Amino acid sequence: MSAAPSTAQLLPGAGAFAITVGAAVAFGAVPLLGSDYLMDAVLTPFLALALAAVGLNLLTGYAGQVSLGSAAFLAVGAYATYNLHLRLPQLPLLVDLVLAGLIAAAIGIVFGLPSLRLRGFYLAVSTLAAQFFVQWALTKFGWFSNDNPSGVIDAPVLSVAGFTFTSPAERYVFSLSVVVVATVLTQRLLRAQSGRNFIAVRDHELAAKVIGVPLLRTKLLAFGASSFLIGIAGALWAFAYLRTVEPAGFNLDRSFQILFIIIIGGLASLRGAFLGAAFIVVFPLLLSRAGAALLGGVFDSGVLEMSQRIVVGVLIIAFLIAEPRGLIALWDRLWRAVARPAAIRNT
Amino acid sequence: MTVMVTNAEVLALEAAPAQGKTRATATADVPERRPAQAADRAAQPVLALSQIALTFGGVAALRDVDLAVAPGEIRAVIGPNGAGKSSLLNVISGLYRPDRGEVWLGERAFAQVPTARLAAHGVARTFQNLAIFKGLSVFDNVLMGLAHRVRSGFLRQIIGSPLARRIDAENRAAAEDVIGFLHLGEVRERAAGTLPYGLQKRVELARALVARPTLLLLDEPFAGVTLSEKLELSEHVRNARDSYGATIVLIEHDIGVVMGLSDRIAVLDNGSKIADGTPDEVRADQAVIDAYLGVAHQDITELAV
Repeated sequence: MSAAPSTAQLLPGAGAFAITVGAAVAFGAVPLLGSDYLMDAVLTPFLALALAAVGLNLLTGYAGQVSLGSAAFLAVGAYATYNLHLRLPQLPLLVDLVLAGLIAAAIGIVFGLPSLRLRGFYLAVSTLAAQFFVQWALTKFGWFSNDNPSGVIDAPVLSVAGFTFTSPAERYVFSLSVVVVATVLTQRLLRAQSGRNFIAVRDHELAAKVIGVPLLRTKLLAFGASSFLIGIAGALWAFAYLRTVEPAGFNLDRSFQILFIIIIGGLASLRGAFLGAAFIVVFPLLLSRAGAALLGGVFDSGVLEMSQRIVVGVLIIAFLIAEPRGLIALWDRLWRAVARPAAIRNT
Repeated sequence: MTVMVTNAEVLALEAAPAQGKTRATATADVPERRPAQAADRAAQPVLALSQIALTFGGVAALRDVDLAVAPGEIRAVIGPNGAGKSSLLNVISGLYRPDRGEVWLGERAFAQVPTARLAAHGVARTFQNLAIFKGLSVFDNVLMGLAHRVRSGFLRQIIGSPLARRIDAENRAAAEDVIGFLHLGEVRERAAGTLPYGLQKRVELARALVARPTLLLLDEPFAGVTLSEKLELSEHVRNARDSYGATIVLIEHDIGVVMGLSDRIAVLDNGSKIADGTPDEVRADQAVIDAYLGVAHQDITELAV
């Protein structure tokens, strides 16, 4: 009734306009004008990691359940898609993708069961079990990698309804479409009662229980939906980005990377997941270019690599002290500073 | 806007005649269609405790406590620190399982009240230390009070099926109503965690009221709020009974507020109920003066005010 007018209301049509321009750039200009390097080495991994971060943010940022097992669900998604494609070739790829997500969701729900008893760090440690178990199973049982001795799988060509996605631009467009659809559906879930239940369980579990929020169902839905999204991200990571996958690629480092993305980007924010993923993918690239250009003659690449990690770590710490709510809070503050004077001028 | 609120209050008053106002007028307001049932309800306590005993590792928190709360009543439970007030509320809301005794909610008896089904049984409660959802807006906090009514699964919520949309619209209308009733319209889009303490208390009350509970349990609703907020809040509590027809059990330290607000007062001391009656009876009760008021002398002066 008397809600404070937001910038969207002050500038009618601005939101729709921004979405149209964004879509035109992302689906049109970038694939047409962008270099192969940009799409292959930057944008496609960014999209896959962003979707994984959306998934983890749903679980950790919204529902408050800490997980260190994200990479396990990436691996489940990747290997499930591979096996579905290999063993049930009659199924279309998109069906494979959804089924792989559902398999990841089922495993996520199983490993989410301890959340009914455990909280915080204790839960985080128990999700490590998923991390180690999945990696072990994929290495131990040759069936998963079609008896490849090193457990490495080669990705099939992505094809939907006779159209194949092989070039970097095509694989980028495929990833982008999947990520956009998944993110929109996630947004709808989070804005419905289920999304409010997640936050209620995170902010005050006892009050949520007294009100009649079904704790068991809410927590398992969070684990299931989160693992579903991360599983699909894993399939993108494997088939649109790397195109060859081994279990070791889904180790604990990867889980931490996704956790850092949502912490840096901003917990409980889908936009934050994208900002954080962009930061984690792009920033090391920029830093290594700068390092190679400035100090390439002085130090060898190994030293540069290590010092680059140190710089990234220090910057993350400094940044989180300055803005604990992540990049998205910074972004919103900047946006308000820019948009509010403009809105006042217009009225 | 003010006009709208007043209308809503009037409508709500008319909608809840059986439990509205005081017990004396309730009989006059009973709808004529089902007089027998209404008479039953007047006789049947909304909440009854029989012989509740609770111990924590050998320390008795509650000793054979009986309590009967009539429909439409505002019942205060007072007592010194450690008297067992909060334990009593936690037994009623099922967070503790009593060693002995039964809790009656209307016609149902429980050895332990199922907390997850509390809202479905028409019981809502607030907490002594605020239990709002800090990350949700005020409006969404209020909407959460109806979480138990959302029967549509998550897939229906994502695609927005007719069922999901109908439930959503009903719940939003109910939340809108309470927001107006408790004058929270100004802050409805603010994150609840950013509000001052007194307002957060009101948000918690709104969340409890939105489901129109038959029994509302308030755990120290006036703790930590300023004097003016206390008066305002006690007005809201009275209105909650009058307009929403909720029977109210409240635990309180501040005797001054309780005396003016409650229809009856039960006094706990050391886990036992030592008095139960109207404010005047309790005020005159020698056991209460000895056990409770006699100990804390500053409370006597507060009582005299």
